[in-house]
Amino acid sequence: MSSMAIFSPKLPTLNPSPSNSYGKTHFSFKPYLPLRPTKKLHFHLLVSADNGSGVAATVEEDTPLSSEEAVGSNGSPVPPPTEAADLVAEPVSSFQDARWVGGTWDLKQFAKDGNTDWDAVIDAEVKRRKWMEDNPESSSNENPVVFDTSIIPWWAWMKRFHLPEAELLNGLTHSFLSTHVLEFTCIECHLTVLHELYAGRAAMIGFFMAYFVDSLTGVGLVDQMGNFFCKTLLFVAVAGVLLIRKNEDIETVKKLIEETTFYDKQWQATWQDDNTKQS
Amino acid sequence: MAAHTVTSVHHPLQSLTQTFKAKTFKPQNIKCKPTSIVISSKLRAAVIGGGPAGSSAAEALASGGIETYIFERSPEAAKPCGGAIPLCMLDEFSIPSHLVDRKVTQMKIISPSNLTVDFGKTLKPHEFISMLRREVLDNFLRLRAKEKGATLIKALVTNIELPLSEKSPYIIHYISNNTHGSLTVDIIVGADGANSKVAKSIKAGNYACAIAFQERIQLPEDKMKYYENLAEMYVGDDVSPDFYAWVFPKCDHVAVGTGTVCSKQNIKQFQGAIRNRVKPKIEGGKIIKVEAHPIPEHPRPTRVRGRVALVGDAAGYVTKCSGEGIYFAAKSGRMCGEAIVRASENGKKMIDEADLKREYLRKWDDEFFCTFKFLDVLQKVFYGSNAGREALVELCGKEYVQRMTFESYLYKKIAKGNPLEDVKMAMNTIGSLIRCNIVGREMMDDAFDGKMLLKL
Repeated sequence: MSSMAIFSPKLPTLNPSPSNSYGKTHFSFKPYLPLRPTKKLHFHLLVSADNGSGVAATVEEDTPLSSEEAVGSNGSPVPPPTEAADLVAEPVSSFQDARWVGGTWDLKQFAKDGNTDWDAVIDAEVKRRKWMEDNPESSSNENPVVFDTSIIPWWAWMKRFHLPEAELLNGLTHSFLSTHVLEFTCIECHLTVLHELYAGRAAMIGFFMAYFVDSLTGVGLVDQMGNFFCKTLLFVAVAGVLLIRKNEDIETVKKLIEETTFYDKQWQATWQDDNTKQS
Repeated sequence: MAAHTVTSVHHPLQSLTQTFKAKTFKPQNIKCKPTSIVISSKLRAAVIGGGPAGSSAAEALASGGIETYIFERSPEAAKPCGGAIPLCMLDEFSIPSHLVDRKVTQMKIISPSNLTVDFGKTLKPHEFISMLRREVLDNFLRLRAKEKGATLIKALVTNIELPLSEKSPYIIHYISNNTHGSLTVDIIVGADGANSKVAKSIKAGNYACAIAFQERIQLPEDKMKYYENLAEMYVGDDVSPDFYAWVFPKCDHVAVGTGTVCSKQNIKQFQGAIRNRVKPKIEGGKIIKVEAHPIPEHPRPTRVRGRVALVGDAAGYVTKCSGEGIYFAAKSGRMCGEAIVRASENGKKMIDEADLKREYLRKWDDEFFCTFKFLDVLQKVFYGSNAGREALVELCGKEYVQRMTFESYLYKKIAKGNPLEDVKMAMNTIGSLIRCNIVGREMMDDAFDGKMLLKL
């Protein structure tokens, strides 16, 4: 299972360059001015006058709120003017799906040939989460969402995760081996095969195919495996292809290491003065 | 005696008079042992900032016999703050229970897809998160420091003159009641928050800050009942790209807010989004205050220079992930104050930068770096994407995770775990991350396919 692929989605943005790491301390808070003077509710933003040593913005009421102003016509709290329409994207409707019942997927509706069609459940959840991302809706105390991904068994996830890429590369491996098998006479060739096998399943299939070819042709490919050095290299190659599924993952790993140690460097910074003085 | 140009300061603990003890050397003995500089009067310390960090530092300093002054520009101000403190702070800082407005015993965490998890299932009856008003807490801590002998000065510090030589004092210039004044001191503790003037004066360097924005909303009684002992945390790209949004109960209202580091210009949009997410629960409410404040993301490049030490937010002691700062402010203030007392032998000896680093900074880093680092890793793993956030909320549903989290938070100690449960938790973590990232990746593929179809 490739844990490195976990980090292939967007990483937290963190600029590791020292010049940017110590960003500006001062926090600017622009004075807020209502853009719709027809609104009765006014707020003034007061920035505390403190010679720049602190900019804690507090908003004070300009005019006392009348009872009808305090409660909007739909019962929602009255936001500062200009913000309600500009900022709050009113959802058109809440998520609807006949199979989404009581805050979770009704698995009975995903039955296929007497079993649950887990792929369809995953598809449905992908669509629901996409919908929620595009149309964030209020959480509900009365109808809480309780579906979580652990309801779907692990093997369904494995199929989803490895299968498409493994199948593709398995096909490539098979055709590569069948056309080049007679050229395998040394460790370097063996490692070249493994280097091109990206997915774990394809790597294993390719490896065992090499054994099969060897037994048929006696070319001596697998004889190399009696050697400890060769076994170690093989282990490293297989572990490498399992962990690093794509070339991009190498960059991701590098970036990850940099970002992981960045915070440590920020803590160590105050001690660098000492090191500079001592050197 | 402190050189004070505005009012004469009579310190109840009058400085003791001691003569310099000079070592006599025999002419043939050319080896010189370093002499400890014993000062003729008590060590003078100024604490700039009268919040939890400053008050705790001042209390420790004054209790240790050091002539202490606290500068606070607005003692009555209600600082924008979450206002939550862990259980251990009540004990360690002897905070009386009548100062606690609310005891939060339930917490809900809501994912981007609205998966809602009850996070307080493992809390024992005596365990809770205390919600206080900062003006109440800060006032209590300041008064206690005063009772121990610190002098409170309501003033705004305008400038700090650095010493011309190693033994020269610092001169603090300030404005109090529209009058300029200055105070000469030997040591300064900078406890003046995220925009620290002390930090600027010693060129301590800058740090990245998040902005925290919140609206205090007075709710109708029936809506307020829901939040009586309950706090909520919302995660999602809509409410914050790199932090969380919250609904925290205060004395008679709720604080609804959010924060971000990387997208400060969109903070109001995020605030609108959190209001949308909690809309049914705050219907009928009235916004009574809007406030915002920077929160440091990491320690400053320099935290001690000369005889000046930074503590609390001024030093950058706010955890990632949870944004907790009050406890660490108070703790660092106390630690710094006690370090100065120890190094100066109760104010009889001058101290230097090495003393501050050894007695305060080293001890602080040794005790708390791991906690801060762990929360940094959690933030990186779980807060960076909606997939990570979904995984976080799934994990928070597990009782073992809840127990470990609360024990670590409430008592600030590494919770005693069960190795088997730890392994299970690790497997669950990996499992959740993988599953949620698979879904996340397919969501992106769906979005990409949708865009391609539109183009066609």
